[in-house]
Amino acid sequence: MNAETKAPLVELKDVSIAFGGIKAVDHASIDLYPGEVVGLLGHNGAGKSTLIKVLSGAYKRDGGDIRINGEEAVINNPRDAKRYGIETIYQTLALADNVDAAANLFLGRELRTRWGTLDDVAMEAQARRVMGRLNPNFRRFKDPVKSLSGGQRQSVAIARAIHFNARILIMDEPTAALGPQETKQVGELIKQLKAEGIGIFLISHDIHDVFDLADRVAVMKNGQVVGSGPVTAMTKDEVLGMIILGKCPPGATPGPGAMAA
Amino acid sequence: MKTMKTLLAGAALSAVIGALALGVAATPAAAKGKKIAVSWKTFQEERWKTDEAAIKKVVAADGDSYISADAQGSASKQASDIEGLIEQKPDVIMVVAYDSDAILPSIKKISDAGIKSIAYDVQFEDPNALYITFDNIGVGRLMAKAIYKAKPAGNYAFIKGDKGDPNATFLFSGITEVLKPAMDAGKIKNVCETFTDGWKPDNAQKEMEQCLTKQNNKVDAVVSENDGMASGVVAALKAQGMAGSVPVSGQDGDLAALNRIALGEQTVSIWKDSRLLGKKAAEAAVAMANGTAMSSLPGVIKFDKGKRHVMMNAILLQPDPITKANLDDVIKAGWITKNKACAGVKKGTVKACG
Amino acid sequence: MTDAAEVSTAHLLATESPIKRFFRATEIDTRLLGMVGAMLVIWVGFQIFGKLITGEGVFLTPRNLWNLLVQTSAIAVMSTGMVLIIVMRHIDLSVGSMLSFVGVLTGVAQVYWLAPWLGSDNPMIWVVGVAVALGAGAILGAFNGFLVAYAGIPSFIVTLGGLIVYNGAAWWVIRGETVAPMDSYFELIGGTPRASWIGSEASWALGGLVCLAIVVGIVLNRSARARFKFPQRPLWAEAFLILAGCAVTLGTVAVVNAYAWPPLIAERYAKEHNIPVPPGGLIYGHGFAIPVLIALGVGVAMTFLATRTRFGRYVYAIGGNPEAAELAGVNTRKITLLMFMTMGILVGISACITAARLDAASNSLGQFDELYVIAATVIGGTSLAGGVGTIYGALLGALVMQSLQSGMTLLNFDSAVKDVIVGSVLVFAVWIDQIYRRRQS
Repeated sequence: MNAETKAPLVELKDVSIAFGGIKAVDHASIDLYPGEVVGLLGHNGAGKSTLIKVLSGAYKRDGGDIRINGEEAVINNPRDAKRYGIETIYQTLALADNVDAAANLFLGRELRTRWGTLDDVAMEAQARRVMGRLNPNFRRFKDPVKSLSGGQRQSVAIARAIHFNARILIMDEPTAALGPQETKQVGELIKQLKAEGIGIFLISHDIHDVFDLADRVAVMKNGQVVGSGPVTAMTKDEVLGMIILGKCPPGATPGPGAMAA
Repeated sequence: MKTMKTLLAGAALSAVIGALALGVAATPAAAKGKKIAVSWKTFQEERWKTDEAAIKKVVAADGDSYISADAQGSASKQASDIEGLIEQKPDVIMVVAYDSDAILPSIKKISDAGIKSIAYDVQFEDPNALYITFDNIGVGRLMAKAIYKAKPAGNYAFIKGDKGDPNATFLFSGITEVLKPAMDAGKIKNVCETFTDGWKPDNAQKEMEQCLTKQNNKVDAVVSENDGMASGVVAALKAQGMAGSVPVSGQDGDLAALNRIALGEQTVSIWKDSRLLGKKAAEAAVAMANGTAMSSLPGVIKFDKGKRHVMMNAILLQPDPITKANLDDVIKAGWITKNKACAGVKKGTVKACG
Repeated sequence: MTDAAEVSTAHLLATESPIKRFFRATEIDTRLLGMVGAMLVIWVGFQIFGKLITGEGVFLTPRNLWNLLVQTSAIAVMSTGMVLIIVMRHIDLSVGSMLSFVGVLTGVAQVYWLAPWLGSDNPMIWVVGVAVALGAGAILGAFNGFLVAYAGIPSFIVTLGGLIVYNGAAWWVIRGETVAPMDSYFELIGGTPRASWIGSEASWALGGLVCLAIVVGIVLNRSARARFKFPQRPLWAEAFLILAGCAVTLGTVAVVNAYAWPPLIAERYAKEHNIPVPPGGLIYGHGFAIPVLIALGVGVAMTFLATRTRFGRYVYAIGGNPEAAELAGVNTRKITLLMFMTMGILVGISACITAARLDAASNSLGQFDELYVIAATVIGGTSLAGGVGTIYGALLGALVMQSLQSGMTLLNFDSAVKDVIVGSVLVFAVWIDQIYRRRQS
C-alpha cells in the first residue's frame, strides 16, 4: 500500500525517557500511517515497550513531541491517549483479575442507565457480541477473569482495545499466550482492522510474525532506533542483523542507533 | 493500653530529643530560699497543671523557688530529666513516675546526691522516699459505702475498670472489703462482675445491657469504678426506664457525673481534689527542705501495700464522696460551675442548685 | 482448549448433585451461607451453654437479639467502608480515634455552642450536630486520602499517624472531660430512649416494603435479561430467593417486635397518655431501633455504591490490579481520595450513633474500634490481599464479633478469656475461609 502519500497518523519525534539516570528511550522517532502495520522489533530491554507506553500515556516522556494527524498531542495519562483514539493491548494484558470479562472490557468507559448506574446487562450484551467475534467459544461471562485460560484472557484484552473505535492500535506481544490456531485468528483480525484504516504498532520478538503482518519495521537497540523501512526492501537476516548488531541494511533508513558503517 | 502508651511514647520521641537538647526547663526564682523540684510524667493531661498551680502557690508563699521538667510520657526522658534536676541542686525532688519500676535507679541517684524525694501520686518503692497520694483502696471503700447506704440489700452489679490497670483491682479490694459482711450474710448478691477494656464508657454500656438482659432487670445497685463508665451504666439503665431508681457509683468528679448526681441518676462520685494533693505535697516538701524528718510530718503513716511490700513513709489523703447532699462543695471549690452542675435540674429538688 | 473446558462444564452441570445444582441455579454465595451457619451455631451454642450454666438461656430472647443489633450498628456502619478500603489494598487504622475526635466535636458543638445559643431542645441542634460529625469525618477522611493518593505515603503509615493524631486531638478539644448530655433529638439516633425505636406497625410496614422490593428487583432483573435474551435462572430458583428473602426479613421484624417495652417505660407512657393499664401490663413491641435502621440503610447504600456505580467498579478494579485500572484510564488517585473520604463520613455516622447511644461524648469513645472494624471485615471474607470482599459479608462479620462478645458477657466470662476467644475466632475464621477458597479454585 502506498502510505507515504497521506499525512502520518502518528509521529513520535525525538522521544526520550530515562529511569533513574538510565536512558530507556533515547531520541527515538517513528511514525505510523492510517491502515498501516508497523512492526517494532528489538531485544528485551531495547526500549520498544517503553516507547510505546509513552504513546499510550502510561509513562510521561522527558523530551520529544507526539503529533497526531500532524497536530501536537498532549498525552499525560492513559485517559488522554484514549481521547485521541489510541488503544493498547499490553504484554501483561493489564486486566483486573477479580472482575468479569464485561467489567474489564468496559473498565473506565462503563455504560450507564439513565439513572447513572452501571448498565450491567447492556455491557454483558455488548461483551457477548464482541467476544463472539473474537472467540466464539467464550461462555464464561460471569466469572472473574483470573479463572480464565491464557487465551481467553488475551481475547478479553484484545476485545477491549478494538471495541471502542480505535484509530491507533498498539499491540505489545499480542500472541504471546496463544496457541497456533488463535495466533492465526489474531493475524486475521489485524488484517481486518488494517482494512478498516486503523494504524497498528505491532511489537513482537517473533520476526516471522512481523514479516507476515507488517508493512514496515522499525528496530530498536539500547533505547535508540537502529533503522526503519518497508519489509519488502529487507530480508529477515538483514533485520536480524539490525536487532543483534545494530547494523542498518541499505533498504532501511538509518536512525541514531545505527552502527557507524 | 500498654501498647498504646509505647506507641505514643515512640511518636513523642522526636519531640523528646528536641527537648533534651534544650535541657531541662528551669525557672529559678530568689536563690535565698530553698529549691523544690518536680519531675512530671506528662503535661498532656490537664489535671497536672492544676496540681502544679497548687504546688507553686505553697512554694512561693514560703519564699522558695520552683523548678520542673516534663518527661512527656517517656521513662527514658524522665531519667535524664531527673539527672538535670539533680545538677541544679534542689532540696527536694518530687517525682510523678511514668514507670514506677524504671524510675528506681534515678531515685537512688537523688538520695546519693543527698536530696530528699517524694513519690507524688504514683508509687515507686524506695524506702528513702515519701509517698503521697489519695488512698485508692479508700476510694473503693467510699464508693461501696455510699451505695450500701442507698441500697443495703439486693442484687449488685460491679463494673470494674481495665484488667491491665492495677488500680481497678485496688479499687475492687476496697469495695469488697466494705460489702463482704453483707454478701456473706446473703443480703447482697453479686449478679454481674466484669472488667471493662480501656475503662471505656461504651463498653460499660454494653456490659450493663447484657447484665440487665441476663437478670431480666433485677439489678438493685451498680458499683462502677469511675464516672466515665457510670455514664454508660446510666445510659443502659435509662433504656429500661430504671435510671434514677438504681444507685450508681463513680469516681473522678467528672463534670457530667456531677450533673448526673444533681439529676439523681448517679448516687456518688468520689472526688480527689488534686489541688489538695498538690498543697499537701508541697507543704511536706517545704517542711522536709527545712529539715523536718519525714516520719514527723503531719499525717505520715507506715505503708507497705505496694507490689514489693517495701516499707515507706506515706501520706494518704482521703478523697471526698460527692453526693446530692454536698454537691455545693465542688461548686464552692470552683471545680465546676453551678450552671454546668445544675443543667436540667428542676428547681427546688437539689439544695446546691437552689 | 476452550472447547474442552466448556464441554466439561456442561457435562458437570448435567451430572452434578441436586445440592450443587441448587446453589448454581440460585447463585447463592455458599460462603455467605457458611457464615450464617456459623453464626447460628454460635447463637444456639450460647443459648444451650447459658441453660447449662445459669439454668436459663437468655441469648435467643428477643430482648438480647434486639440489643445485639443495636450494639453492632456502630461497628457495622464502619465495616461497610473498611471492606472497600481493604479491597483497594489499603487499610484505615485511624477510624477508632477519628470516631473519638468527631464524637467529641459534635458533642462540644451541641452542648457548648448550639444549646446555649439556640436554647436546648431546638430541633436545629441535632441537624447541625449531625452535619458537624459528617462534615468533620469527610474532611479528616479526605485528608487521609489525599496523603495516600497524592503524596504517595502508604495508607498504613498515614492512618497509623492519624490514629495517634486524632487521639491527641480528641483529648485536646475537651481535656479528658465528658461532654453530656446530648441533645434530646440527637439521642434518638442511639436507640436508647423511648421513640428511638419505630414500633411494631411501622416495622411490619417496613418489612412488607422490603419484601416488595425483593420481588420487584427480581422481576426487573428478569425482564432486563429477557430483553437481551440472556440465560435466566430457573423459575423455582427465583421463587425460592423471594421466599427466603421475605422469610428472613419478616422473621427479623417478628423478633424486634417481640421485645416489649420495659415495664417501667410502658407504665410511664401509660400515665402520660392516660391509658388504662390492663392486668397483664401494657405490651408494646419495640420494632426496629433507629441505629439499626441507619446501619441497614448504610449497608444498602454501600452495596449500591459498590456494585451499581462506576465508583464501586473502579474500587474493585483498583484492588484487582491497580496498574491495569490506571492504564484503562481510571483516575485511581481520585478514587482513592474519595474512598477514604467515604470512610470518614461513615465514621461520622458511627460517631453519632455511639455518642447518641451513650448520651455523652468523651475522648475514650471509639478507641480500639479500628481493631473490631478490621476484624469484622476480615471475618466477613474480605481478603487483605485486596480485590475481594462484600458489604453484606462485613455486616455479618460485625454481627458475629458482637454476638461472641455479648454472649460471653451474658455468661460472665472473665474478660481475659473473652479476649482470647475473640482473637482466636478471628484467626480461625480466616483460616477456614482460606481453605474454602483454595478448594474452590
